[in-house]
Amino acid sequence: MSWKDTLGARIPDDLGREIDTYENQIALKRQGKIDDKVFAETRLRRGAYGQRYDNGQRNDGTGVKLLPFPSDGQTKGPDTVWDAPGMQRIKIPFGGLTADQMDTLANLSEEYSDGVCHITTRQDIQLHFVHIDDTPELMRRLAAVGITTREACGNTVRNVTACPLSGVCRDETFDVTPYAEASMHFLLGHPDTQDFGRKFKVAFSGCREHACGLVNMHDFGGIAVTREVNGTIERGFEVYVGGGLGAVPHEAKLFDPFLTEEEVLPTLQAISRVFARLGEKRNRARARIKFLVAQLGIDEFRRLVKEERDALAPDERWSAYLDDVPAQGERPLHAGAPLETAPNSGAFQTWVGTNVYRQRQAGYVVATITLSLGDLSGWQLRRLADLARRFVGDAIRTTVEQNIVLRWVREADLPELHRELDSIGLAQPGAGTVADITACPGTDTCKLGIASSRGLAAELERQLVDQMSSLDESARNLRIKVSGCFNSCGQHHISDLGFYGVSRHASGHVVPHFQVLLGGKWVENGGSYGLAIGAVPSKNIPEVVRRVTSRFVEERLENETFYDFASRIGKRTLKEILKDLMAIPGREERPDFFRDWGDPREFGIGDMGVGECAGEVVSLTEFDLAGAESQVFEAQLALEENDPTRADQLAYGAMLQAAKGLIKTEFIDISDEPTQIVMEFRTRFYDTEVFFDKYARGKFANYLFRRHEQPGPATERDTARRLIEEAQLFLEATHACQARLASMPSPPKAGSAPSPGGVQ
Amino acid sequence: MTDAAARIGTLQRIALKIFLDEETVLDPRDVIPVFHRWIQTSAVDGLLIDVADYSHMTSGPSVLLATHEGYYAIEQSGGRLGLQYARRADQEGELADRLHAAARTLVKAGRLLETNDTLDGRVRFRGDQLECLANDRLRAPNRGETMEAFRPTFERLLSTMGPDDDWSLTQEIDERERFSVLATSDSGAALDLLEARLR
Ligand code: SF4
Repeated sequence: MSWKDTLGARIPDDLGREIDTYENQIALKRQGKIDDKVFAETRLRRGAYGQRYDNGQRNDGTGVKLLPFPSDGQTKGPDTVWDAPGMQRIKIPFGGLTADQMDTLANLSEEYSDGVCHITTRQDIQLHFVHIDDTPELMRRLAAVGITTREACGNTVRNVTACPLSGVCRDETFDVTPYAEASMHFLLGHPDTQDFGRKFKVAFSGCREHACGLVNMHDFGGIAVTREVNGTIERGFEVYVGGGLGAVPHEAKLFDPFLTEEEVLPTLQAISRVFARLGEKRNRARARIKFLVAQLGIDEFRRLVKEERDALAPDERWSAYLDDVPAQGERPLHAGAPLETAPNSGAFQTWVGTNVYRQRQAGYVVATITLSLGDLSGWQLRRLADLARRFVGDAIRTTVEQNIVLRWVREADLPELHRELDSIGLAQPGAGTVADITACPGTDTCKLGIASSRGLAAELERQLVDQMSSLDESARNLRIKVSGCFNSCGQHHISDLGFYGVSRHASGHVVPHFQVLLGGKWVENGGSYGLAIGAVPSKNIPEVVRRVTSRFVEERLENETFYDFASRIGKRTLKEILKDLMAIPGREERPDFFRDWGDPREFGIGDMGVGECAGEVVSLTEFDLAGAESQVFEAQLALEENDPTRADQLAYGAMLQAAKGLIKTEFIDISDEPTQIVMEFRTRFYDTEVFFDKYARGKFANYLFRRHEQPGPATERDTARRLIEEAQLFLEATHACQARLASMPSPPKAGSAPSPGGVQ
Repeated sequence: MTDAAARIGTLQRIALKIFLDEETVLDPRDVIPVFHRWIQTSAVDGLLIDVADYSHMTSGPSVLLATHEGYYAIEQSGGRLGLQYARRADQEGELADRLHAAARTLVKAGRLLETNDTLDGRVRFRGDQLECLANDRLRAPNRGETMEAFRPTFERLLSTMGPDDDWSLTQEIDERERFSVLATSDSGAALDLLEARLR
């Protein structure tokens, strides 16, 4: 008995064949006939991802314990136990869902996962705690409702995203949905997109001004624009390339101010070919297209793409879809009707105030379903599908703010819709406000999480929801985004207040912290990235939010945005506001600081002994690390003052000082001479892999080496800015290395490996 | 044997839930440290992996202890807080044996919550209700024939749990929901007695 037999012809042939092949690969892997790495990439390309603790061990708060899965040595990738639960990512192109698809997703969450559907920051859906053996059947059930998980992860073109208001927005130039959809179909499985060194993300926006598709942080982003040629309006896209958040964020560069609609697909193909041909393959840390664009320069990159484009053999799919574009788009289920008399209910009014957007089509609105941390139960999703059928049909989209929107709601239906949503626990107001916090999975399920992003977001949300009615409107409209580590899946760079998880070491213990980033821009397609102010213990972050928002409300000039406010008062002042919050209290006084949100376990690797000698040297090291921190901060200020050369030198100096601090754990007489520092650091910490962490390996050390080899300081703002980001990451890695060294019972020996229970 | 009986005979993904009594006021987040402690001490059945905090949700699991075999959850479906044990990994034996084993695992965990020091005896479960649901729409579609095929096996379990009780069964009516049955008895034993009966 299987879903394959039951669904039969409802599974499209091509998807069915692909899933059969995948199922065969699972069988072959079980027989040991497929290499671990190959199988890992195979399942990743089908969206079957690893999940925390899938290496078969976990620190339960008393020490690292083995999780004895009955896998009998069977693995589904390097260091990944077969029976350990995993995450299934489900690609939802431009977030568009039908009611039937929602039903299926709801059922899958109950039958293969834990009953929870999670909306991601790229409009995908994720299910957690899924067994690899269940994935083929799960995929068949999705295929039967027209969803493929193909290329949801791995080094592929990921989900193509688009503004959830496309087609109904009052400010858009035109509806970008057909272009997003065509790009998705064209690129999926295309031979030219199969040989990337890393992932490739595409987004479309209907306008420049709003957050929309967040074009600025994408590998390829298109903003809808028009121009008049001989009295005819032509459609096209202002195209940006090489954007990305992650460890080293890059703002996208303008590739073409007007790419005609006919050229969108061939240009995507040409870019894919250039990326596949010239993009980095061995060093994953520098394999995203942003590094290629930075390395070649945008002009040379553009030239190569144009050259590639000219050499492409014509493909009718490039323009075949364009004839249908005018006829595409959703049809409303009901004739539009205004709301004559609004119910006299405070809850309804509040909800309408934050969760309802008036469409450009008269009589219709978009209703946002606010989902706390992007989660809803299978039962809620199914009930929501029913409401969609009743009120809007299939006009449903997920959003990058981890919510769901119902489009084409007849205004007159709002009271009834609100009542029905309330009855299924989905009428929470506050969409798009400071209480609507975005968070990545973090330490809950992600293998790379350092601190609990969801724990922090849940706590902030609890506090802010309570304060909403008394908050000044300027503070109410701020955005907060949280990531569990520097990889920025929570998009912390493009929010007013952004946080990402880091750790710090204090009196022999590891303390969860968040780096505070202020002044990022959510609007203008994620128009500007915030810079780090400093690391604050996780338990002090609610106070950071309170202080920063109060100061903003008190000192804000008329109509001043938070971005402008942060730029005006400057990072030095902002740091001053938070300075006392950066201190770590004693463990006796505040034991809660040594635990993460919603987790009673001692954070990190527990209470291994720290020798006195090491402790002494460690404190010298900490001194250097503190010095390095302030150099990075100074570098940011120099950049603000438009002095990239000084910013570069300070960032480089910070890395040298941090490296020197680490060297002092073994060689106290290290000089200040850069070449000696780099040489000693390389011999003692890089060649021995002591500095390496499990996932990033030696990536961060290479930032120092590369800068050291550079002939002189940077003179360009972008380069200096990147070096600051790299210095920040180098510092984080130094802190982590120092914590690992301090947790070792005896002084480290050359060649010793990092502790398996390390925090990263 | 009917098709429905053959299908349900192969059912593995069984979930059982007991409900908190009316007097119990429980913030599900108070159970997070208890679940972590269970992992440290291997207090309940299974290979215990991790704790997931879903207390921000208004439906479904609120706090969940993931295991290799399935999960334990403080669950709030239908607005009724209770303890659920959901089995996912295959088990040997007949459906009746698997159901019995799941009930034993659930009641053992429920007892541990009732007697947990940090919860100060605040938690009490009702012994007069048991919900059983199938996380498998293929083997157990929510239809009348599934109910008829499942009834004898379920009643066997109920007669073990409350031999002298008069149990009534109510099936979830929405066909798109998982097959689920709420059993209610006219009396209801305390969990320690249920534990002994299921041993
Ligand atoms: S930001 Fe880090 S912790 Fe969060 S999901 Fe991404 S990799 Fe994981």
